[in-house]
Amino acid sequence: MAEIINNIKVLRAEKGITQEDLAKIAKVTRQTIIAIEKGKYVPSLELAFKICKVFDKKIEEIFKTI
Amino acid sequence: MSYKNFRIVKFLMAMFIAVTVSMAVSLENVLLAVSAVGIGMISMILIKRSVKEVLVDEMVQTIAGKSALMTYSIVIPVLAALSLILMFSDLSNRGSETYNLGINLSYIVLFNMAVYSLAYYYYRNKYGRDNK
Repeated sequence: MAEIINNIKVLRAEKGITQEDLAKIAKVTRQTIIAIEKGKYVPSLELAFKICKVFDKKIEEIFKTI
Repeated sequence: MSYKNFRIVKFLMAMFIAVTVSMAVSLENVLLAVSAVGIGMISMILIKRSVKEVLVDEMVQTIAGKSALMTYSIVIPVLAALSLILMFSDLSNRGSETYNLGINLSYIVLFNMAVYSLAYYYYRNKYGRDNK
């Protein structure tokens, strides 16, 4: 299975959003955001779209397969 | 209530239930044990409502689902094997406690498998039904 990576950490730093802020907006726990950033957990499509909306980016700009 | 406070309260509540149930067992008081568990459950429901942060999200549900499947995959074969051992070890004496325990265990295993099958078919139909 292809591995999915993301650049949420970079985008978050650019926008000055904390993991806690992002978790609140996306209505998930901070642990989930940490796991997604580390690539340990692949979010559902619904959550991925929520994250994309926060950063105003397309899904392929944040999530990539390697 | 913040998530940190919730975790502390949850720990304290678990301690309260454990201590009370232990006391109830040593005093052979069923009512005390049932009351402690009941109070604990109701308290936890009320406390959970007061927490404004998200406690359960998709990752927690995924982990819970995988854990449940692993638990099922381990517990059911072990119980099934144990029930067979108990039944066949005392097959000549069919009314014995060992034999009856084996029978009861096998019914528990069958009940679990039936519930799992029902849940599996329910979710398969829910998520995988063909719309043709």
